[in-house]
Amino acid sequence: MRRVIKAAAVATVAALGLAACGSESGGEGGKTELDLLVPIYSDKTKPYWENLVKAFQEENSDIQVNLEVQSWDNIYTVLDNKIQNQAAPDILELDAAGPAYGSEDLLYEAEEIVSPETLADIEPTFIDSAKIDGVAYGLPTVASTRALFYNKDLLTQAGVTAPPKTWDELMAAARKISDLGGGVHGYGMPLGSEEAQAETSIFAYGAGASWESDGKMTIDTPEAREALTFMKEMIDAGVTQPDPGATDRTPLLDVFIQGKIGMIQGLPPIVGQINEKNPDLNWDIAPSPTPDGEPSTLGVADYFVGFDKGEEKQEAISKFLDFFYQQDNYLEFNENEGFIPATKSGAEAAADKPELQVFLETLPDAKFYPATNPAWGATSGAFKDLVGQIQSKPVDDVLAQIQAKADAPA
Amino acid sequence: MTAPTTARRSRNQALRRRARRQTTLHALPWLAPALILIGGVVLFPVGYMIYTSFRDLTRFGTDRGWAGWENYERVLDLGHLPRVLVNTGVWVVGVVALSIGFGLVLAQFLNKRFPGRKILRMVVIVPWAASVVMTSTIFVYGLDPFYGIINKFLVDVGILDAPFGFLKSPLPGFLSAMAVAVFVSVPFTTFVLLAGLQTVPHDVLEAAQIDGANRTQTYWRVVFPMLRGALAVATIINVINVFNNLPILKTMTGAIPGYDADTTTSLMFKIIQSDRQIDTASALSVLNFVVVVVVIGIYLRVVRPMRQED
Amino acid sequence: MAREKKRWGLTIVGTVVALVFLFPYLIMLVGAFKPRREILQVPPAYLPDNWEPGNFLTMWDTPETPLPFNLLSTVVISLGGTALALLAALPAAYYTARHRFRLRLPFLLLVLVTQMLQPTVLASGLFREFVELGINDTWLAMILVNAAFNLSFAVWIMHSFFASVPNEIEEAAWLDGCSKGQSLRRIMLPLVWPGIVTAVIFTFIACWNEFAASLILLPTDVNQPLTVALTRFIGQYESAWQYVFAVSIIGILPVVALFALIEKHLVSGLTAGGVK
Repeated sequence: MRRVIKAAAVATVAALGLAACGSESGGEGGKTELDLLVPIYSDKTKPYWENLVKAFQEENSDIQVNLEVQSWDNIYTVLDNKIQNQAAPDILELDAAGPAYGSEDLLYEAEEIVSPETLADIEPTFIDSAKIDGVAYGLPTVASTRALFYNKDLLTQAGVTAPPKTWDELMAAARKISDLGGGVHGYGMPLGSEEAQAETSIFAYGAGASWESDGKMTIDTPEAREALTFMKEMIDAGVTQPDPGATDRTPLLDVFIQGKIGMIQGLPPIVGQINEKNPDLNWDIAPSPTPDGEPSTLGVADYFVGFDKGEEKQEAISKFLDFFYQQDNYLEFNENEGFIPATKSGAEAAADKPELQVFLETLPDAKFYPATNPAWGATSGAFKDLVGQIQSKPVDDVLAQIQAKADAPA
Repeated sequence: MTAPTTARRSRNQALRRRARRQTTLHALPWLAPALILIGGVVLFPVGYMIYTSFRDLTRFGTDRGWAGWENYERVLDLGHLPRVLVNTGVWVVGVVALSIGFGLVLAQFLNKRFPGRKILRMVVIVPWAASVVMTSTIFVYGLDPFYGIINKFLVDVGILDAPFGFLKSPLPGFLSAMAVAVFVSVPFTTFVLLAGLQTVPHDVLEAAQIDGANRTQTYWRVVFPMLRGALAVATIINVINVFNNLPILKTMTGAIPGYDADTTTSLMFKIIQSDRQIDTASALSVLNFVVVVVVIGIYLRVVRPMRQED
Repeated sequence: MAREKKRWGLTIVGTVVALVFLFPYLIMLVGAFKPRREILQVPPAYLPDNWEPGNFLTMWDTPETPLPFNLLSTVVISLGGTALALLAALPAAYYTARHRFRLRLPFLLLVLVTQMLQPTVLASGLFREFVELGINDTWLAMILVNAAFNLSFAVWIMHSFFASVPNEIEEAAWLDGCSKGQSLRRIMLPLVWPGIVTAVIFTFIACWNEFAASLILLPTDVNQPLTVALTRFIGQYESAWQYVFAVSIIGILPVVALFALIEKHLVSGLTAGGVK
């Protein structure tokens, strides 16, 4: 069947007289080709990789790196298609979904694609949080935790003297700020499809929930119920922005930057955005509030993984990744994108940056997504599509619905 | 006496058959370029999609083998499917009917002669020329309750008391998306109908007027029937395009939780993106495909747009 | 006199219609002139405080995407796709409209069926097909895709116009000794110009705005059309909306220009004389 179709397609091309423009196939002059697929964080991302690839190729004339940059919106579509058609990139940067491909034996192990020295320099927390059955596949590129950004002026106006540490304080502070009126809202709660799983996880982890236990997804739990019930109470009390269920994160952060929201959970890159878009904003960062003030928050890291396509490219991949993890190159990347470096040496270098303090301090108490569980992708998708419904539906129903999606056979 | 007649009849039949075969053969050179293009480019991905719909793919896209009808069963088991099907019906019928209605009026208008007509024709083409993603994005941006200019305008002129979250709950979100879908479909519809109006011979109109028909009568009795071909083409193409339209719903109602504002097409996207089930999504799109074929088939049978030639 | 007044009345109505069709794009245009920090201002302003026409210049040379190449890609792919679709569709539309043969209706339906599929799910199969053919990541691949997937509407649009030309006209031409090819060129084409023009505009716009297949088939940035390039201004936490808007405006202009060029052919040879 396929051969017939191929023949027909070839005939088409020939008949149209256009066959002259075929593409060159790889490996000219014995060069090793590496396909590199990375997501876009900001307008600095693409130039960074272009320069890095150029510098790398100057040092390694036998390796050619083919760079493909995609927006976060599109990278999963592009990647799914490549994998479905056995055309995976050699090196991929992605969130924790990247190392998860290891469960299908598609990846090199982390120690195969980077030198022992580089590996030793990486913070074990990040490697460990992305292991599958004790095997590490991912090498962390950037890391961060969530923390509470707050508008000092609004807090002062509302008579709140210190940023909230507990949920009760959070509710009280949000209520006071909302009462100021004038289009100002106490707490920004983005439960729209963009990243609802993050906002939910911050609260649920605070309540002691864990999304996975013994390899099974545990979504419908008493802890999660406690967290979602509190979130629903905030929505019902009117201390959030209107319609949290359908509000995406990025536009809401802009509203915070414009000074119309008292408090919102965010990541380190927001700092750079505030400085660029509204430097007059009087803001600060505090650890995420939890039910009783015990420190806890959501940690995330993005990873490099290498696809094993049986082509013996470990050595070339390893050369490239070692090059990336060289102190200067690596720090420049994190500096550009405003994240916390995931290497020991990088963290030391970043330690004296005041804007990263709170994030570095909360790192030990941060909990990560169970992203290496094959069911996490669909679970996270279910959070994105469904959790916003707590605005109008009972918490139990919503949790049960998400649990059902998490349990669905792959 | 009877024998030769029968012989002659069968010879006639054979001749006729040969003639028909000949015209089919004659047709080939005229149809060949189109057939080669379709056979070479379209056939494979369609076959591949149908194939995928019977495979069991993991969430990572690797193939675990034959799945039989499992993917189809999973689609039909979806609890929210009835609601999504109703939405799809409302979406297609509503958007196409409104587009045709506005298109008919606008085509008639653009067919009149007045100063500035050429400029207006160019303006009307703009929503068609612009990418649908961008048009939807602009509406998302403009309708935002915080920084949306359309919302601000509606408040400033007193239509709204306070900014309204148009895209924040299913019903207003779905209706807003329908409005945008009509907005981007009207230009194409208008131009097909306008081109159709050009082929109404002028003397036919004059004859109708001489016969004493007033304008409304002339339109419905003379002009409208002659638009049948253009109308059929506009309807068929709109149905297909509106049915398959993903960008508008994805951009405008994508942030709304639940499936209350989804059509089968946007549901298919969610199954790929959120549930990570490419195989189930393929099954849904095969079902989608069957539904469109049936709808268009019914349309062609009932309306018989090609009757005049048959 | 009264007639003249009525015409200007139509112009006024026309202006209102024009505003309705233009307002989203006016928002886009104004947004393209806003500096980055004003775009998401709360509450919004109708006009920028600081006009920044520079966005239309700086966008050609941003680190995110090689825009001149992207524009070139879009132009080449759209022109190529439209030309190819038209070449394949025109004879088919003509023959099916003027001749009866057994496979006529099946052919027309087959052509139509190809259009009934959602491009998102087909992109994967297309990718595999073009990898096997070795023309992945080329303009040629996208020209073929665009031509093949827009062929059917071109056939149907032109078919309906060919069918509306009375048989007698063409028979008269044959009696005068014209061949089929000649009668198509000399008699039929001028009569169905509006249909052809409509099909050209339709196909061209569809090619111009194609996204789903280009995203998958064209990984190299210089080969990508504007629609794919645009997405690279969308970052993880912030987006360069001023460029997204400016590029979108630039993307609309060539289509409107093309339309302005061929708009006069929307008036058919059949009625061109009668209108005056």
